[in-house]
Amino acid sequence: MRLREIPVDGIPYDRLCVEKIPAAPEYIARDPELVPASNRSVVVNPNRICMPIGAMWAVLGVHRAIPFVQGAQGCTTYARYTFCRIFKEPATIATASFHEDAAVFGGRKNVIEGIRNLVVRYWPGLIGVVTTCSSEIMGDDMVSFLKEARARLSREIGREKTEEIPIVLINTPSFAGSHVEGYDRASKAFLESLATTRDVLSERVNIIPGMLYPGDIREIRHLLEEMNVEGTVLFDISDTLDAPLNPPQEIPYYPPGGTPVSEIRQMANARATFALQPHAGGSGARYLERKFGIPAFIGPVPIGVAATDAFLQNLSRITGREIPASLRDERGRLVDAMADTLHHTMMKRVAIFGDPDVVIGMTRFACELGMTPVAVSSGTPSKTFEGEIESIFREYRELFLAEPRVFNGGDLFEFEEYLKTLPQIDLILGHSKGVDISRELEIPLVRVGFPIYDRFGYQKKPVVGYRGAELLLYEIVNELLDYRYPDDRTQQL
Amino acid sequence: MPGVERLLPERRRHVVTKGDGTAVLPECGRPTVPGLVSERACAFYGARWMLGAIPDVIHLVHGPAGCAYFGGIVRRKSYRVFSTQLEESDIVFGAGEKLYRAILEAVAAAPGARAVLVYATCTAGLIGDDLDGICRRAARAVGRPVVPVNSPGFCGYSQAAGHDIAAGVLLEHFIGTGKAQEPVANGVNLLGEFDVMGDLGEIERLLQQLGLRILCAFSGRAATTAMADAHRARLNIVHCRRTGQRLADAMQERFGTPQLKVSFFGFEETASALHSIGKFFGSAGVEEIVEQGRREVGNAAPFLKKLAGKRVALFFGASRIGTMARAFAELGMEVVMIGSQFGCLEDYGDAGARVRAGTVLIDDPPEKELEEFIRKYRPHLFVGGTKEKYLATKLGVPFLVFPQEMSSFAGFRGFVNLAREAAGLVGAPVWRLARCERYYRTLQTAEG
Ligand code: SF4
Repeated sequence: MRLREIPVDGIPYDRLCVEKIPAAPEYIARDPELVPASNRSVVVNPNRICMPIGAMWAVLGVHRAIPFVQGAQGCTTYARYTFCRIFKEPATIATASFHEDAAVFGGRKNVIEGIRNLVVRYWPGLIGVVTTCSSEIMGDDMVSFLKEARARLSREIGREKTEEIPIVLINTPSFAGSHVEGYDRASKAFLESLATTRDVLSERVNIIPGMLYPGDIREIRHLLEEMNVEGTVLFDISDTLDAPLNPPQEIPYYPPGGTPVSEIRQMANARATFALQPHAGGSGARYLERKFGIPAFIGPVPIGVAATDAFLQNLSRITGREIPASLRDERGRLVDAMADTLHHTMMKRVAIFGDPDVVIGMTRFACELGMTPVAVSSGTPSKTFEGEIESIFREYRELFLAEPRVFNGGDLFEFEEYLKTLPQIDLILGHSKGVDISRELEIPLVRVGFPIYDRFGYQKKPVVGYRGAELLLYEIVNELLDYRYPDDRTQQL
Repeated sequence: MPGVERLLPERRRHVVTKGDGTAVLPECGRPTVPGLVSERACAFYGARWMLGAIPDVIHLVHGPAGCAYFGGIVRRKSYRVFSTQLEESDIVFGAGEKLYRAILEAVAAAPGARAVLVYATCTAGLIGDDLDGICRRAARAVGRPVVPVNSPGFCGYSQAAGHDIAAGVLLEHFIGTGKAQEPVANGVNLLGEFDVMGDLGEIERLLQQLGLRILCAFSGRAATTAMADAHRARLNIVHCRRTGQRLADAMQERFGTPQLKVSFFGFEETASALHSIGKFFGSAGVEEIVEQGRREVGNAAPFLKKLAGKRVALFFGASRIGTMARAFAELGMEVVMIGSQFGCLEDYGDAGARVRAGTVLIDDPPEKELEEFIRKYRPHLFVGGTKEKYLATKLGVPFLVFPQEMSSFAGFRGFVNLAREAAGLVGAPVWRLARCERYYRTLQTAEG
């Protein structure tokens, strides 16, 4: 039997008109005074989110942990939407549900009752308490509130059971920084409160990946395995936010995986800490170094050849393990692919935007491919960003076709307006917020970084390591080809 | 509900089972119980939902980067947002001047905008700048309305508070501000219609067959010019009570515009909507349109076969629960649960009247209760929002996102789409394949 259907398929593309410039069908030239973000108070299309979501991300990477967000409902719900859209996975995040009374009297009652309700409904393995702008402005004394919450819990469920559930407090006043810093603060908060004793030293290494996707974390694990090194990945979202569909499930649903609390406690015994992203996780590594003298290797994020080399060399140096032939082969295959595709990648002008560390990594890789980074923008302002980018440029500058421009903490409006003034661009590397820019300028976009919510599968495809770089390279080349030769009759490879 | 005893005491009265004849309704409109994984959002979210799609104004979010970033996406579309992106120093020293400058700059950057909407978020609400005063001062400077939307996230109990705040803003500053007064003979407004995936086009097609013209749809098609003219409509068609009723009542009072509450979801509802609208205008040919619709809906027959007797659970925004319950009943499905984040008694009353005894009515269920519900009732289909989707999926239950993400569900044709999507989801092979344990077992027995 043939199914007959009426094809009313959503909104046709020509009607999907999302007005970008209000009330102006014709293009209005911008006042050049207003383009640089530093000249303005107003921010147009921010290129960063606020702190709490970075901390929630971190908590979701711990085994059976639930973030508890001390704020109004929206902060939680918006973050859950964001996680759902990116990972296509459920994200269980509890909210203190501030209403007007909390705004007047503070969030004491909410956290005390809230922690209790969360525990009796979910019995989590750990609670990560994440503050927000509202609780920070009101000056909630979270340390003493949490003490009270614990006391209340003890009375109800007994001391022993209460002690089984660690509570980690992460202060993330939204206005004080971006999601990147939220993650960074979480890394420190977790280590400070859990990794407290260095007693039985181990051969393991600590890895704090930063806001990398499950595919990336798996690739890092692969590198460790090949190196024959055992490691603890702090905030391991590779299973929690990429879980198999395997019904029937226990209720409440907890995703598999996540870093076990016991392993986090052992991180003080490790041999070294690798924070792959200095801006997201660097604080955690530095804390362990200061407190216990555990050597910290902070960055660079292993995107591209040189950065992956550096990661493996450091790993090899600290553990005394050789870099095995298998990894040398992976490297060889990547370099081979770079040589094969060079005629397509070389001398391409590329614009890169996103979170600082990933942007630094992408910039170096783009340079390795013979491209010219014409504009590089970090949504989160950083003290070190410009310096790092400059040092990459120094190495490759003689190949550049145009003078690159670096934006440290600007918005997407500034970035877009700048790109519009350039005579030529071939490619944009960045996250989903760049779709608009890419459409407007008619330049292909390769999606990398956080967040990617408008396509499937990116969270599973690594960009780190040699294999990740190879996949990314193919993505770049194919995107360029799609754009120039959309049809195979015009170009036989 | 599965072991009502397992509910927190505060939650018990929010969950009822429809008995025979007696219409008991869940308690609603209450504060959210802290510490649960609430499916509710904040007032700012609600205000953005209502106002986000207004095309010819500047949307300026007065708050930290996060609110602006999140608020840029409304109903799965992204819009340009302006923000003051408050930082630590602004919190300490006050952000009033920054806001004032930001408004001026935003207008300079988008000079064509007809007005500026300034959304106050939690932060703005707490630092207590004189938002109204700043907006008034800025309005004089930029020579167009600068309107405060006072929607800090903690006000009210859910996004519903934001809907009300937004409705107030529209009434006070935009609706009926046009000069022309004479009514448009065939003009109607749609209140509470957001044009999700082309719904508005489908509704418009039907209304056009009645000879009617949509002056303004709040807020699927609500440019400031259209809102300014909205008072000239002969009739206000309320499509969503939650977001439309308040506008309708105020407009009735102010301009004397009569109102009709209808729904365009499902065959019966659409037909009766057309009948009552047709009757109001004395239009001819309603019967033919409905007949044509009946023929079109006939296309759903093959899908209905797949859906007959299947259990469905509904969980979404307030006032559509009732009419959608009826639409799903028309698909031949058995509605086993109806819930909403922010329904009012009327909504639950509506919904309760349209379902069979034994159906669970649930107000503001947190995630855990939805899980427990799924375990106990094993619906064949769960209808709700993106947040709930991936959880249901993990538990092996097919999920239809509503407001929809693939095709229009409104009108007769939309009903066929609804049937098609529901049938596709329910019968999909993936749910069989997902039960891999059973699969391994059959494999073993086959081999053994
Ligand atoms: S709850 Fe407050 S801070 Fe959070 S998104 Fe809503 S308005 Fe912004």
